[in-house]
Amino acid sequence: MKRFLTTVVLCVLCALAEAPRAHAGEIEVLSAQVKELSTLVQDLSLTVQNQQREIALLKGRTPPPFTTSGAGPASGARSLQGRWNPDIGVVADTVFKLDSPREDAEGADRVSVREAELVFGSAVDPYSRLDATISFSDFEEAGLEEAHYTHFGLPWNMTGRVGRFKPNVGKAIPVHRDSLDTVDEPLVIQRYFGLEGYNKSGADLKMPIDLPWAMTHEASLGLLEGGNGEDGTLFGETRRHPTGYSHLKNYVDLNDTTGLELGVSHLAGSRDDDATFEVNVIGVDGTVIWRFANQRYFKLQNEVFNVNRAESFVEGADAGTGDLIYEDVDDNRHLWGGYLLADLRFHPQWATGFRFDRVMIVDAPAEDPHSGDTGYTGYLTFYQSEFARWRAQFSHFDLSNGGDDNQVLIQGTFAIGEHKHKLT
Amino acid sequence: MRKSFLIALTACLLCAPVRDAAAAGKLNVVATTTLFADLVRQVGGERVSVKHVAQPKFNIHFIQPRPSDVKNVRNADLFVFYGLDIEAWADPLLEAAGKPDLFRGGARNLDLSAGIRLLEVPSGPLSRSMGDMHLFGNPHYQMNPENARIMAANIAAKLKEIDSAGAETYGRNLADFLSKLDAKIAEWKALCLHCSGKEIVSYHKDILYFADFLGLTVEQYFEPKPGIPPTPKHLSLLESYIKEKNVKAIVMPAYYSRSGPDVISARTGSKAVIICQNPGEVEGTGDFFSFFDYNFKTIAEALR
Repeated sequence: MKRFLTTVVLCVLCALAEAPRAHAGEIEVLSAQVKELSTLVQDLSLTVQNQQREIALLKGRTPPPFTTSGAGPASGARSLQGRWNPDIGVVADTVFKLDSPREDAEGADRVSVREAELVFGSAVDPYSRLDATISFSDFEEAGLEEAHYTHFGLPWNMTGRVGRFKPNVGKAIPVHRDSLDTVDEPLVIQRYFGLEGYNKSGADLKMPIDLPWAMTHEASLGLLEGGNGEDGTLFGETRRHPTGYSHLKNYVDLNDTTGLELGVSHLAGSRDDDATFEVNVIGVDGTVIWRFANQRYFKLQNEVFNVNRAESFVEGADAGTGDLIYEDVDDNRHLWGGYLLADLRFHPQWATGFRFDRVMIVDAPAEDPHSGDTGYTGYLTFYQSEFARWRAQFSHFDLSNGGDDNQVLIQGTFAIGEHKHKLT
Repeated sequence: MRKSFLIALTACLLCAPVRDAAAAGKLNVVATTTLFADLVRQVGGERVSVKHVAQPKFNIHFIQPRPSDVKNVRNADLFVFYGLDIEAWADPLLEAAGKPDLFRGGARNLDLSAGIRLLEVPSGPLSRSMGDMHLFGNPHYQMNPENARIMAANIAAKLKEIDSAGAETYGRNLADFLSKLDAKIAEWKALCLHCSGKEIVSYHKDILYFADFLGLTVEQYFEPKPGIPPTPKHLSLLESYIKEKNVKAIVMPAYYSRSGPDVISARTGSKAVIICQNPGEVEGTGDFFSFFDYNFKTIAEALR
C-alpha cells in the first residue's frame, strides 16, 4: 500500500513538472501564430489602403493618407524609443608610423590612435541641423574639432553656418583627415594651415549662382577667428583678429561619367597683433574625375596657394611716448605651395595613387627666402568593407633644412554607428 | 572667323534662356533612379520634366552625387526616392541643395516606400557583423512590378497635391499606366509560369521581390553576408550547393564583377545571367516596361 502511494505521489509530481514544459511549447506555437497573424493583418491593411488610394485617384478624389508606412520596423511605443537621439558615429583612425628622424615625435615609430572621432548630428527643426565632432587621441588632449549649426533655405537659396567648422576653401581643407586619399594632409595644408587641417570658429554663407548654362557655380563667403591649425604658419597666433575667406566653385559634366571642377579661393588674415590683413592668399584648385565603372574611378586633383605676406610692418617704439609704432618698409614676400594628386580606384576594394608636394616655407631663413619642402608620396588602399579601410603609404620628403625624411605609414580606419555618404 | 565665333557665342547665350523657358511651366522632378524617373514620366506625361541622379550602370548605394546633381535638386519641385536607407547619399544631397521643402518628410519629398509590403524587416537587434544590413527591411522593392501600382498611385497623388491644375491629366495617365501594367503582368506571369518553385542563386540580396513575384526560391548568395565580397571558401561551398541542388540560374546586376559567377557557371552548368535593377543598366531596357520585359524574358530562358 505504501509502495502504491509512493508511486502515485511520484506520478503526480512528474505530471506537475511536465505541465509547464507543455505550456511553454504551446505558448511558443501560439506566439508564432500571433506573429504570423499580425503580419497578415498588416499586409491586408496595406493592401486595402493601397486599393482605396488607387480607387480614389482613379475617381479623381484625393486619396486618404497611409496610416502605416512601408518604412520602419514594427510600430508601437517601444520601437519609437530613442527616435529623438541624434545620429551618432565613431571613426577610429589608427596609424603605424616608421619615421627616419630619431626624435620622439607624435606617433613616430609606434602604433597610435591618431584620432578617434565621436560624431553627432541631427536636425534641429525643419530648417536647420546641428553637427559636432569631438576628437580624442592617444597623444593629445580631447578637442572640439567641429560644432556648427547649419541653417538651410535662407534668401537666394543660401545656406549659413555658425560655430566651428571646416571652411569651404579648396578641396583638401573641407575634408576630414580620415576621409582623405592619403594618410596625411598635403604638405601645403600641413605647413600653411595646420598638421590636422584647418578648423576654425566663425560664420559663413554658401550661395548657388544659377546661370543659364550647364555649368554649376557656388560661392562661399565667411569670417573666421584668426590663427592657424596645429603648427600652421600662415597667419599669426592671435585669434581675435579675424580671417576672411571666399571661394567660388565651378563644375561641369564633361560627359555622363566625367566631371571637371575648378575653384578659386581667397583668404585674408593677420600675421601679428595689429588688426590689418597683411596676409593674402589666393588658391586655385582643379579636379577631374572619371568614373569608368561601378566603384572604379580615376581622379586627378591639384591645388596651389599663392601667399602674399606684407612683411612691411616693422615694430618700433616712439622715442617720446614709448608707444608701439609700425613702419612700412614695403617688403612683401611671395610664397607658394601646392600639390598634385592622382588617385586610381581600380577595383571596388582597391585603390592606389601618388601625390607630389612642393611648398615654400613661411619662416624661411633670411639667407634663403625661397627654400621649401618637396614631397613624393605613394599609397595603396584596401577597402575591407564599407566601414573598414587599410592603407599603406611611403613618403619621401626633401626638407628645406637640408635633411631628408622617409616615412612608412600603415593606417587603419574603422567606423561604427551613423551611416551617411557625405558629398565631397 | 572671329566674327562667326562671336555670332555663335551670342546665339548660344540667347538659346540657353529660350531652352529654359521651354521647360518653364513644367514641374521639375528629380528621382534618384531611372526606374523612379520613368514612373514619374509615365504618370506626369507632358507636365513634368524629370532628371535622375544615379547612373543605372552603377550600384545605387555607392553613388557619389555631383555638383550638377545638387543644382538639379535645388531647382526641383519634387524629389522622389526609395525612402529607406539604400541611398546613403540622399540626405547629404538634399542638404547640399538646401531647400527644406525637399528634405525627408517635407512637402515636396516623395518617399516611394509608403504602402509597400517590405520583406526582411529586422525584428531583433542589428549589428554590422551581419554585413550591410538595412534598418527598415530589404529596400529593393522596385523589383516586383506589382509594387509599381502603389508607387504610381503615390506619384499621382503627390503630383496632384503640388500641381492641382494637372489633376485630370495625372488621373488619366495613372489609369492608362495601370491598365497597361495589368496586361503586362498577365503576360509576364504567363511567360514565367514554368519558373514558379524553382531555385536560383543570386549575387546580392537584391532579387527577393522579383523572386517573390515569380514564386522563385533563393537560399544562397555569392556574398556570404550582404555587401561582403565572396571568399574562395564561400565560392567552393556555393559550387557544391549548386551541383547538389541542380540550380539552373545564377542572377546578378550588370555592375558586379562577373568573374566569380562565370567560373561557378562554367563548373556547374548553371547559367549566369544579368537581371537588371534599373532601366538602362543593359541596352534595350530604357523604360519601365522594356526593363521588366528584359528581366522576365531572361529568367524565363535561363530556367527553361
